[in-house]
Amino acid sequence: MAVQTFLFASLIFFSSSIESNHGATEVSLFTNLENSLEVTAKPTRVGVVVLEAGKDMVRITWMLKSSAKVNDDASFKTVEVKLCYAPISQVDRPWRKTHNELSRDRSCPHKIVSKPYDKIPQSLNWTIDRETPTGTYFVRVYGIGVNGQEVAYGQSSDAEKTTNLFSVEGISGRHTSLDIASICFSVFSFGTLLVFLVKEKRKANLQQRK
Amino acid sequence: MGDPSGEPGSSMHGVTGREQSFAFSVASPIVPTDTTAKFDLPVDTEHKAKVFKLFSFANPHMRTFHLSWISFSTCFVSTFAAAPLVPIIRENLNLTKQDIGNAGVASVSGSIFSRLVMGAVCDLLGPRYGCAFLVMLSAPTVFSMSFVADAGGFITVRFMIGFCLATFVSCQYWMSTMFNSQIIGLVNGTAAGWGNMGGGITQLLMPVVYEIIRRCGATAFTAWRLAFFVPGWLHIIMGILVLTLGQDLPDGNRSALEKKGEVAKDKFGKIMWYAVTNYRTWIFVLLYGYSMGVELSTDNVIAEYFFDRFHLKLHTAGIIAASFGMANFFARPAGGYASDIAATYFGMRGRLWALWIIQTAGGLFCVWLGRANTLVTAIVAMILFSLGAQAACGATFAIVPFVSRRALGIISGLTGAGGNFGSGLTQLIFFSTSQFTTEQGLTWMGVMIVACTLPVTLIHFPQWGSMFLPPSKDPVKGTEEHYYASEWNEQEKQKNMHQGSLRFAENSKSEGGRRVRSAATPPENTPNNV
Repeated sequence: MAVQTFLFASLIFFSSSIESNHGATEVSLFTNLENSLEVTAKPTRVGVVVLEAGKDMVRITWMLKSSAKVNDDASFKTVEVKLCYAPISQVDRPWRKTHNELSRDRSCPHKIVSKPYDKIPQSLNWTIDRETPTGTYFVRVYGIGVNGQEVAYGQSSDAEKTTNLFSVEGISGRHTSLDIASICFSVFSFGTLLVFLVKEKRKANLQQRK
Repeated sequence: MGDPSGEPGSSMHGVTGREQSFAFSVASPIVPTDTTAKFDLPVDTEHKAKVFKLFSFANPHMRTFHLSWISFSTCFVSTFAAAPLVPIIRENLNLTKQDIGNAGVASVSGSIFSRLVMGAVCDLLGPRYGCAFLVMLSAPTVFSMSFVADAGGFITVRFMIGFCLATFVSCQYWMSTMFNSQIIGLVNGTAAGWGNMGGGITQLLMPVVYEIIRRCGATAFTAWRLAFFVPGWLHIIMGILVLTLGQDLPDGNRSALEKKGEVAKDKFGKIMWYAVTNYRTWIFVLLYGYSMGVELSTDNVIAEYFFDRFHLKLHTAGIIAASFGMANFFARPAGGYASDIAATYFGMRGRLWALWIIQTAGGLFCVWLGRANTLVTAIVAMILFSLGAQAACGATFAIVPFVSRRALGIISGLTGAGGNFGSGLTQLIFFSTSQFTTEQGLTWMGVMIVACTLPVTLIHFPQWGSMFLPPSKDPVKGTEEHYYASEWNEQEKQKNMHQGSLRFAENSKSEGGRRVRSAATPPENTPNNV
């Protein structure tokens, strides 16, 4: 009972500190952002259908759109480049859902890089992170204003997120050493049981003879 | 009188409520103590302990208790070990919501069958071997998580691991060989409750182990696989401990059991018939599916729910999810106790009302949990839901022993299986499809709990009544003797096979409520509490 009370109290403490962050700033919505950045993301290896996490590279470029007004980029100081799920990777996976409210949006969980904005076209050769899960992706770049909130964006795909997508195959996480250890321990378990059975049977036979 | 052979479930101590003061021990004059035996605890003529000393590890009785509940708890740990790690596993294996839900269903389905087999194994080989075999043979299934590469593999492995939940049967059976039937109710209830706690422990343990392995440098997708080695090794360790430290009976091992023949063996077919044709059996199968069943389902979904809905870290979600399962430590015994209190005032009708109130309250709190929008309300609702569901489990098994005397073992087994079946069903309907979000699933599960608890109103004992109807006034049919003796036919009655039932009937009269108890015999002549 005491443990429960302690856990409960500590959780109230943590949750109140979590929730206190939300009150201050106003909610940032995706539909309010200006699509003023031009972003491209192309795998460096030509003719490849599925990229390998941890090995293959993607060349990402971003710059202010030629159609943008002159001082559109005055408000953002940093850019955040993110890897986002294409709709096909979101099907039947509610934990990757797109949400208009940016703080609740789960569709762009993987951060590629965060850089100060240079006003000139920038590019990056990004090696796909080793822990990237299997899926189909596109790249989105957010322009972050001084107050830390998103003010503009650009993405390598179209508005419906159907073009210029690339597929990534994640690592399996399996290792031969793990497999071998697993087999060894299983055999040990089996073997120990057998040894005990034989020993006890022998003891029982001995006792019977006495 | 307690059944001297101490068959599983044969004692009702703690259940009729009359023996509150004897909860932890059996008063000597009622059950004769064997003074020649040299055990740490006072024992009866069969050398079963008459006292339940919780913090002792004395061989063999208390040692058996601890070996038993810990190995049962280990199986709960490994069966639900995947649940708090699902946020990592789903990325590694590219799982959909359906895959995760199906894996959850698979994890509780295997034991529906294995629990039935374990009953036979305990009868044939003894509970020590039954427990050790199962625990050690399921260790490889836990280790095989390292091979899993896709949804199919994940579902298969969770199904195979789930078989080990049959240690529930060996646990309860083993307790019956070691503890006098007068206190077996409390002993078994504590063992079951503490075993179920494993479902809570795992939600704390696995994220912590995962975090440690991560910090040692492993990638996320390797770390979760390695984390499963911990429950795997717990299986091996517990198996070895059971084999080396455990013994089948107070006096030694199995061979003595063969020599017992003092109680005429009943026929399986007959017992099955009386279990299956008693409508109350099926109502309890349904009810337990919505107390134990929803507890198992929640063990599977709650960590992922808190992780996703409230954007918590994995181990924070694990801590919250753990407190759901850990409440079993006191909630399940508390439910049994509440039932006993209700029985002192209102007899069996009180027990039925207590069960209905507790389980329905649990269902309403579940609805609240689904609708809670802030973290704090969700946690409060979850804790109240856990208390309701787990206390309902305790209250259920406070009534089940009265449904039948002859077929108690099978009815208990069927009720237990109903729990797993209910769990599989709720996970299939509410948590495996894209039709409901998890919060909607929880809400509807709560509604289903309330609806499926209503059949308690239909349970009627002619001798004690039901929730809304008083007992029958018929001088023959309204007696306990008639109810319990009706399970035997004329030939069997002529052979006096029904004597145990008659003794039980006599002692169950306290279920008539206060007016019956106040007319009871004075304390010195208290009949053997059952």
